[in-house]
Amino acid sequence: MPELNLDKILASLDLRISEVTIPDEYDQISKDYLGKDSLLAEERKKLPTLSNEDKKIYGKKLTELSKKIESKIASSKKQFILDTFQKKENDEFTDITIDWTRNEGSYKHILSSVMDEVVNIFSSIGYEVAYGPEAETSWHNFDALNTPDWHPARYESDTIYLNSDLETLLRTQTSTVQIRHMEQNDPPVYIVAPGRVFRSDQLDATHSPVFHQLEGLAIDKNLCFTDLKGTLEYFTKEFFGENIETKFIPHFFPFTEPSAEVLVKWNDGSWLEILGCGMVDPNVLENVGYSKEYKGFAWGVGIERLAMLRYKIDHIKNFYENDIRFLEQF
Amino acid sequence: MKLLRSWLQDWIDLTDIDDTDLSTALESLGFEIEDYKLIKPDYKNIIVGKVVEIYPHPNADKVRVTKVDVGNKVYEIVCGAWNFEEGAIVPVALPNSYIKDSFKIDKRDIRGVESNGMICSASELNLWDEHDGILILDESFKIGSDLSKTYNSTDSYWEVGVTPNRGDCMSYLGIARELSTYLNKKLKKIEHPLNPKLKPVLKVNSGKSKLCSSYQSIEIENISIKDSSFLIKYRLSNIGVRIINNVVDYTNYVLHDIGQPLHAFDRDKLYGTISVRKAKEGEKLKTLDEQIRTLDNEDLIITDNNEPIALAGVMGGFDTEVTNATRNLLIESAYFDKVSIMKTSRKLNLISDASVRFERGIDRNIQAYGLKRFTNLYELDENIQYSEISDSSKQTESENFITFDTSLIESILGQVIDNKFITSTLKSLSIESEIKKDTIKFKQPSWRYDLERPIDLIEEIAKHYGFNNFKSTLPIGNNLNQVGNYWNVRKYFIDKLSLEKFNETQSLSFTQKEYNEFFDPDKEGVKVLNPIDQTQEYLRTNLYYSLIKTYKFNYEQNNFSGKYFEINNIYNNSTNKNYKKIPKQDYTLGFLVPDNNSKINPMQYIASFLRKILPGVSFEQLSKPGFHQNNSYVIMVDNKLVGHTGQLSYLLKEELDLSENLFLSQIYLEELNFEGLNTSNYKPLSHYPFIKFDLSFKVNRDLNANDLIQEVENLLQNNENSIKVFDDYAFEKTRNLGIRIVTRSYEKTYNEKENTEILNMIVDKLTSKFNITLNEKGE
Repeated sequence: MPELNLDKILASLDLRISEVTIPDEYDQISKDYLGKDSLLAEERKKLPTLSNEDKKIYGKKLTELSKKIESKIASSKKQFILDTFQKKENDEFTDITIDWTRNEGSYKHILSSVMDEVVNIFSSIGYEVAYGPEAETSWHNFDALNTPDWHPARYESDTIYLNSDLETLLRTQTSTVQIRHMEQNDPPVYIVAPGRVFRSDQLDATHSPVFHQLEGLAIDKNLCFTDLKGTLEYFTKEFFGENIETKFIPHFFPFTEPSAEVLVKWNDGSWLEILGCGMVDPNVLENVGYSKEYKGFAWGVGIERLAMLRYKIDHIKNFYENDIRFLEQF
Repeated sequence: MKLLRSWLQDWIDLTDIDDTDLSTALESLGFEIEDYKLIKPDYKNIIVGKVVEIYPHPNADKVRVTKVDVGNKVYEIVCGAWNFEEGAIVPVALPNSYIKDSFKIDKRDIRGVESNGMICSASELNLWDEHDGILILDESFKIGSDLSKTYNSTDSYWEVGVTPNRGDCMSYLGIARELSTYLNKKLKKIEHPLNPKLKPVLKVNSGKSKLCSSYQSIEIENISIKDSSFLIKYRLSNIGVRIINNVVDYTNYVLHDIGQPLHAFDRDKLYGTISVRKAKEGEKLKTLDEQIRTLDNEDLIITDNNEPIALAGVMGGFDTEVTNATRNLLIESAYFDKVSIMKTSRKLNLISDASVRFERGIDRNIQAYGLKRFTNLYELDENIQYSEISDSSKQTESENFITFDTSLIESILGQVIDNKFITSTLKSLSIESEIKKDTIKFKQPSWRYDLERPIDLIEEIAKHYGFNNFKSTLPIGNNLNQVGNYWNVRKYFIDKLSLEKFNETQSLSFTQKEYNEFFDPDKEGVKVLNPIDQTQEYLRTNLYYSLIKTYKFNYEQNNFSGKYFEINNIYNNSTNKNYKKIPKQDYTLGFLVPDNNSKINPMQYIASFLRKILPGVSFEQLSKPGFHQNNSYVIMVDNKLVGHTGQLSYLLKEELDLSENLFLSQIYLEELNFEGLNTSNYKPLSHYPFIKFDLSFKVNRDLNANDLIQEVENLLQNNENSIKVFDDYAFEKTRNLGIRIVTRSYEKTYNEKENTEILNMIVDKLTSKFNITLNEKGE
């Protein structure tokens, strides 16, 4: 029975494998050790000359050897590829602390984003967006809102007028939209009206001749003061978070009664006023010709104020200067 | 309204209420707290002393040496003030004491005389502003006592906002009345019975005008003009009222204490009957501030023998004012009409503590009480005598009861309020009322102008019940998650432009006429009657200038700039289609694209961007002021004009000192419908392979490439196509246009023959229709 030195073959295979530099070489190794010109093939050719007994034993031995070589080559190749990539990856390092592009933000103005957020909160409880003109009649801005001529509240804000008989002006409050909407629509009414309002103030850190409010109005058959409370508490929780504490303190607006201001408790424990509200004054509903069975509530919230509180913005001027360094932060 | 705890204590017992509780009470009653602070003496170890001897300083003329008794010892102190004599009671800073700003006082040698400290002025002790020498105390200050223990030197101060409907709360009495209800404490009654010794010399008459329903006065004789008492000076100075003298201070004191403005005349400068009437047109009056005021027939005046002597409720006259020589007074206490006082004070811009109270409405029944309070402040002085009150009040109808169903309370507030609570609250507020079965009736008190209707009383009840004690319920409206067209259109454009990396901006609505006229010389701008300044005299007629300003600002501030957009109203004076009486205002999107050395022509970029975001858009070239002659287009959607786009003219570019070309667009958002914008035209995907042709044509310079593309789209309308210009090259008079056509059938794979047929069909059709020639390969 021929005796092949298996160990020698395997040792030479190990040597070949250790010298591999590229994965393709494994194909040649396979060919050399398992192909038709290999030692193994030579030995196989000898098998027919052997006795049945020896044929069986030696054949088995050769098959085992072939399998061993095959698996050795396969696992070595796999390991070789793995090692190659691991080494490649190990050599690669990225400094991810470098910003190659500027932080450009959302490209939306923060006032737009805040307005949209507030609109979404109210739209989720059934309010549609209404709008009205910014250059308005004094009647819509004052008289219809129960603030007749020579009412002290008419002189509290510095109104910008557009004609000398003081009949047209730039609205000082978005409450004008209440009137515009009710003039054109029958009850029930559930609206919010975000928009610009105007005061005769020079633009500086704390004042702006232009700012934004969001007016809300709900008029229906059975609305009452507890509904007003529930609605605005829902808003403060949605906007500032579930844990925000809210309180209502009495206030005065000519067009609502009872009137209140809503305060939220800030992180530092102080109470900050964020909106004004109240039950719509019967005179207002009468001015738009609504029947007495309808009543409801209204509120107004300052958009700049919400944005300043949430993002700790200290200068109202920032909103209107359009400095790209400010715009890109949001 | 500025409040001192010690002064409030006159009206309501606050001993067991701490400052926090008082703040809560004030806030819960609707008085917004604008300021709160503790008042503490700004001095230490100041003793009350008596000057027992004064003699000249041996080496100095300007100072004197005094001997001051401080109870247990007499000290020698050098003093530079001359406003006191022997016997004066004064505050003394002995060695090792501190005056204001923690300044330490010690023994000091003054020109050879050792001074054991100093005698102090009011301002040195930071009590109030008074620089005319040292502070002279009265006999009630015990010699040897610590000054800080002789009065309420530790106090609390609040400044609260009083809403315009609550004129009755612009006094200590008014605030205390509200607090008494909230804190469940009794409002103290302060009575001053008069014991007049004189008959009034002058007659008073409230006149025919309804604008003065009550005019009352008292005459006081033998007064001398001097400092007010320590208490009055302490209280007034701490609420920010300037200290003048015992007449002015006392009128101010009564005004703040009970809310009745008083006016003091020098009685000896008056001669006839004091009366009230409307001024005659052009009538003149020299007021206290020495200005000659020209009056009109809206102004209410006080007259003496029919000659004007004061502007009622607003300012006294110069000729009858109290001076240091005044000995006898006539004190006026009147009720003037709210609106009349407001008109005059606003017109003349004379807004005073008195006018503010009159215009919000003072108590109709408090005039006599005001005179008694005033007179009482002179009580200690035995020389002073006073008359009875001359009362010329008109009969006014007493207020009627207002009755309403108690069920209205629950219907408005959403909660039942116990009748007992209502009764006790109204009683405590001195609102006369009665609840019977299902109705409640009430009468407006003489100081509550805000209680005219059932809703007014319901608010009062809710306020005292406490807004935070009501439950909360959440009604749901009927437009769930439907914001409506206006907001949808706005959001659509904000989303599209922000995704395209346009920065959204917000700029002021005001501008100058010339900036409007750059672009809209034919539109009449809306002028502001009272502009904030000269650069803000007009409302903007377009968004272009604001966008350029933003572009330029950032370029100059930050050395880089970008693409911007703004959505806001623009205005002009033409007729408003939707509303009467007000100027036209269009809700408009404006955006700016700078040249930025981009590879793509910005005009083409804008057009293709608009094609992407405005379904059905088309452009028509139209020259417009401020824009490039050719690069200027109106934007149409479904044959309706919806905006304009173009390149800023080279002239304006130069005038505005811009470093690159700017491209500006405006779209009138009210012309657009969200439904129309939000269409998505899905085209099914073919499952067959594509065939592709790159065709290059010689074309005329003025050919619209899109016409070619549309023609190919038509020819291949049953296929899935992608047809794009890949090259557009113009040189001298020639122009080459390259079009890439990628097309797939929905039904089959094209064979070679079909492929060629399609190609020839397209080329034939295009060359014949557009009079263009196909460039052969390699040409």
